[in-house]
Amino acid sequence: MMTQSAPRPLRDAPHVLIVGGGGTGAALAHDFALRGLRVSLVERGEMTSGTTGRHHGLLHSGARYAVNDKESAIECIEENTILRRICPGSFEENDGLFVAVTDEDMAYYDDFVRGCTECEIPIQELSPDESLRLEPLLNPDMRAAVRVPDATMDAMRMPLRFLATAKHHGAALYNFMEVLDLIVEQGTVKGAALRDHVTGTEGELRADIVVNATGPWSESVARMAGVDVPIKPSPGVLLALRGRLCHMVVNRMHRSGDGDIVLPQRALSVVGTSSWTVEDPDELDVPADHVQRMREEGSKLIPAVAHAEMRAAWSAARPLIGSKEADSGRELSRTFKTIDHADDGVGGFVTITGGKATTLRGMAELCADVVCRKLGIDAACGTREFVTLPHTAYFEDLDRRPA
Amino acid sequence: MSERRAGVPGLDERAERGPVRRKGVGVPASGWFDPRGRALGGFAFAVNRITGLGLVFYLYLHLAVLSLLLRGEQAWSDFLRIATSWAFLSLDVLLLFGLLYHGLNGIRVALVGTGVVPNRQKALWWSLGVIGTIALIGGALHIAGSA
Amino acid sequence: MSSTEIRTDAGGPATDRRRMRVFRFKRGDPGSHFDTFDVPVSAGTTVLEALRWIQLHRDRTLTMRHSCFHASCGTCGMEVNGREVLACVTTVANLGDTITVEPLSNIPILSDLVVDMREFYARFPDEIGITRRSEALPEASPPEGIEAFERFEDCIECGLCLAACPVSATSDDYLGPAALAAAQRLLEEPRGTDPADILAFADGPNGAWRCHAAFECTEACPSNVNPATRIMQLRSALVRGGRAAVPAEEVSRA
Repeated sequence: MMTQSAPRPLRDAPHVLIVGGGGTGAALAHDFALRGLRVSLVERGEMTSGTTGRHHGLLHSGARYAVNDKESAIECIEENTILRRICPGSFEENDGLFVAVTDEDMAYYDDFVRGCTECEIPIQELSPDESLRLEPLLNPDMRAAVRVPDATMDAMRMPLRFLATAKHHGAALYNFMEVLDLIVEQGTVKGAALRDHVTGTEGELRADIVVNATGPWSESVARMAGVDVPIKPSPGVLLALRGRLCHMVVNRMHRSGDGDIVLPQRALSVVGTSSWTVEDPDELDVPADHVQRMREEGSKLIPAVAHAEMRAAWSAARPLIGSKEADSGRELSRTFKTIDHADDGVGGFVTITGGKATTLRGMAELCADVVCRKLGIDAACGTREFVTLPHTAYFEDLDRRPA
Repeated sequence: MSERRAGVPGLDERAERGPVRRKGVGVPASGWFDPRGRALGGFAFAVNRITGLGLVFYLYLHLAVLSLLLRGEQAWSDFLRIATSWAFLSLDVLLLFGLLYHGLNGIRVALVGTGVVPNRQKALWWSLGVIGTIALIGGALHIAGSA
Repeated sequence: MSSTEIRTDAGGPATDRRRMRVFRFKRGDPGSHFDTFDVPVSAGTTVLEALRWIQLHRDRTLTMRHSCFHASCGTCGMEVNGREVLACVTTVANLGDTITVEPLSNIPILSDLVVDMREFYARFPDEIGITRRSEALPEASPPEGIEAFERFEDCIECGLCLAACPVSATSDDYLGPAALAAAQRLLEEPRGTDPADILAFADGPNGAWRCHAAFECTEACPSNVNPATRIMQLRSALVRGGRAAVPAEEVSRA
């Protein structure tokens, strides 16, 4: 059992370079640091400035996937439980509701309940009266609801706890450090050529293994090593409206669709989301018709969504694994995958991609296991139990906290 | 810049404390009266400090003037002739403004600053401002009348 | 509370152009300068979107902080035309033909529009809870097994208040609005902290007494924290309730 203070890594421990400072990269830095490896992480912008910071903040119960993607659902509920334990005080733990509004929703109800039960997601069936007592602003014409263990997370601060813990265990974390190219010698990735945007200078960092944790940008990084990853960036629009229209996460009880979630974020309510696919995850627009659809669909759950004042509208790109032919992005699986590029003939390089914000720790465990096997190290994952430091510790100078 | 050095670039420079932008004119103590981007409260504070400095200056001036009494009746009469000129009386109005502003704003700050009426700082500024303006106009007319 | 434009046309094709004057500084430079860019915008384009356009299409070396795009993370604080705002919810529409963008005042600059928030966070009390009791509708009751609805604190640690404060403009020692507001919230809702510790934290010459009631912090705050009022309430607590929280044997020494 890992104790709460792990030692700093030894000088001759293997060195892992993580590319990408989103949730996955953060959880990886944490996992590797706890296993005693030397860790460097490079992120071209501010930490979580990619997809991670932009998502609606749902700590998934997995119920959304309980019918069609049971693998994802089970991953979610397991990680949901773990995260509440290792990131205490990082969530608005008010649970969530799946609300049936139409006949079609009601036709889905039994499958939904059965799916949740099979995936061992704890649920509670509620009548309209009971539901309206919990959330008075729900659509008064709602037909039924099921309570699920959803929660709201702070999309940036929760992953920042992983970075904070990694930093205080010796990981070197560099923001505004962009990978210009991967260094490939004799078919093996040896490190990365870097540009430091803080100083405008260039350098290179060598490592025993490079891990690509760049989410929807996975493909552009993988290409630097001459390999391909089956990632389709799939953006969706989200709205933030003024006013806390609900405390629990409110989901529509149907197969995934647009505008089927409303959840609180401080004094705002976030409504999401839609889905399309793009080639370049940096060029994301915010189509006005999608914004309109969020209002329309969201107001079927909570009528006040129709007229609440808008605070912001933005897009975020999911990293979806799957074939390039998929059009809308909704057919692709939300599970995650570690790809060891030795299978493609390139050594020293691993990509971890797919997944959701909720599964960051689980993704890191899987990937770190693969990396440790590649390096021939026997080091067990300690992240299931290790309580992460508060996010403010990320901003502390190291000598202010005891080792 | 295009030659690549081994190791992570920029580490030494990142470790240094960076420059800090301050409002004001480059001197640290000048930050508080820079009006750029200011709202009512910041403006009120700046004017409070300026009137405060002005009143301190006036205090010394006043003591210097009173010391003229030590120099006998002639010196005092000479002074009185200046003191009743329009230019001087205008300065008296300015002094009145300073006293009224600093005093009334001082009441506002006291009420707000001890948590008595913390959420009404703007309303207080305007309402005390109305009182102050009336007093200033009244006082200015009175001063003009004694010219 | 800062005023932000209501977005009427999110995204959409560019219908206009704006000139952006952007503060530039790289470590190692002798000083800072401004770069000017002509940016295509539409009715709802935000300052952050305009800056990202510059970063993607004109200058990859431009550094800025951003994360959530909806005023929740607090990372995109900067000074736009001299006013402290969150770039992600500030539209370019009513900012004039030339928009000047600079990093926040009173916090050391890392590069370009990025400030190093370590000194901001160093001022805070040791334990800050980020979750609190929620202000639920009176007719709403929490679900079985949950004692009360909870929510995140309003403060998003953006630093706009510290940048706007005229006292912080002259001194790095003043704890500042964000830290003091966080302390007052811990008095309001202790969550396991000791009120005596909080009052001691707020009590020094660089604590709640250093504030001059300029209220610029409350004006700048994008998240309804109202730090100025909270500082005044801290003073109130220090003057009235402070004694009650101090253990009996220390009162005679005070």
